[in-house]
Amino acid sequence: MTESQFPQCRVVPLRMLKPETSERYLNEVVKVEGIRRMMVNGPSIPAVVPYGPARGSPNPNSNRRTIKVGDATMELRVQVGSITFEVEDAGVIEEIRKVTNAFFTQFPAQVLEGKFMKTEASLVDYCRYGPNADPSVIGLVDPRRKEAPVIIQGRK
Amino acid sequence: MAYTPQYGPGTSIVAENRRKQMNPNYKLEKVRDVTDEDVVLILGHRAPGSAYPTAHPPLAEQQEPDCPIRKIVKPTEGAKAGDRVRYIQFADSMFNAPSQPYQRTYMEMYRFRGIDPGTLSGRQIVECRERDLEQYAKMLIETEVFDPALVSCRGATVHGHSLRLAEDGMMFDMLQRCVLKDGVVKYVKDQIGEPLDREVSVGKPMDDAWVKAHSTIFHSLAGVAFRDDKEYVEYIQRIHALRTKYGFMPKEE
Repeated sequence: MTESQFPQCRVVPLRMLKPETSERYLNEVVKVEGIRRMMVNGPSIPAVVPYGPARGSPNPNSNRRTIKVGDATMELRVQVGSITFEVEDAGVIEEIRKVTNAFFTQFPAQVLEGKFMKTEASLVDYCRYGPNADPSVIGLVDPRRKEAPVIIQGRK
Repeated sequence: MAYTPQYGPGTSIVAENRRKQMNPNYKLEKVRDVTDEDVVLILGHRAPGSAYPTAHPPLAEQQEPDCPIRKIVKPTEGAKAGDRVRYIQFADSMFNAPSQPYQRTYMEMYRFRGIDPGTLSGRQIVECRERDLEQYAKMLIETEVFDPALVSCRGATVHGHSLRLAEDGMMFDMLQRCVLKDGVVKYVKDQIGEPLDREVSVGKPMDDAWVKAHSTIFHSLAGVAFRDDKEYVEYIQRIHALRTKYGFMPKEE
């Protein structure tokens, strides 16, 4: 279980990001040392049309693609709207803020401090997912998902 | 003295635009050209060039009951021919889209005949006979009530009107029905998300100044704040007070 004292922050750009911009930003930000967990949020882009008359037909979308962060590849399933970080200490947030302010020049981005991820499983999580749920993803995604979290190493 | 409708209160540009759109005597400014075939493709109800499928025989070929209302009301072209009832639905971004669901319904009720609009928070659908719909849709896409980036034809999966815009200024669309290519917005899917055989161009997104000057949405961050329009606030407060008082069913002693 994650310790509750780890600080968290969320980066919210004024516009939603293209996969190319997200890739460039994430590659900048992962160079900051001391990031424990990172979560990319945004509205979902499904692979097939989920409802309506065209339900079930494929949904080609240029915003849904695989990006490479560090040496890890991940499939973006959302249009990136915000990125949440859990970091080792408050100094890391300042580093993230510096990188963010330097990166977003066309439009601004806010760096919010607060608590954005669950730090321990709640009773509801226990009822839903049982005692063997992966603690690193509790409160972030459905722990029953088959895909494991991406581990980013080889920061340059 | 003949009655002149005021259409709505307010002194701001937003209020003025709302009145303009509602007033059937005001000719909406034509901003772009879209062909009839393009409209049919975006709607996706029938193949371009094919005959209109019918729901009943043309009125001229059937016996109509003896009804005084039918004598007064002239049928629209679509109703005369017995067309099916079909729809177009729009989602309007909250970031200064030139129209919005309630506004669309008011506008269409003043301007069009034989329609059945449905108003929701983030989308507005209008149903009518197919051949009338194509005319109305063409007008709704070609004139100042449409912006290629901030308004989009979405029959289903409409989510996006309240989200931040994308980097290129387009409203989020899960199905990416339209894409920005070389500065021009092109529909690559019809309104329900079925891929089109060819791209349908609906013109360039309008610039910021135009969008602000043609907005019908109050937005304290992106445009005109509602509270800055004193007359509008006064009117809304009056309606609110009257409705609330009426809720108590006041009686005169």
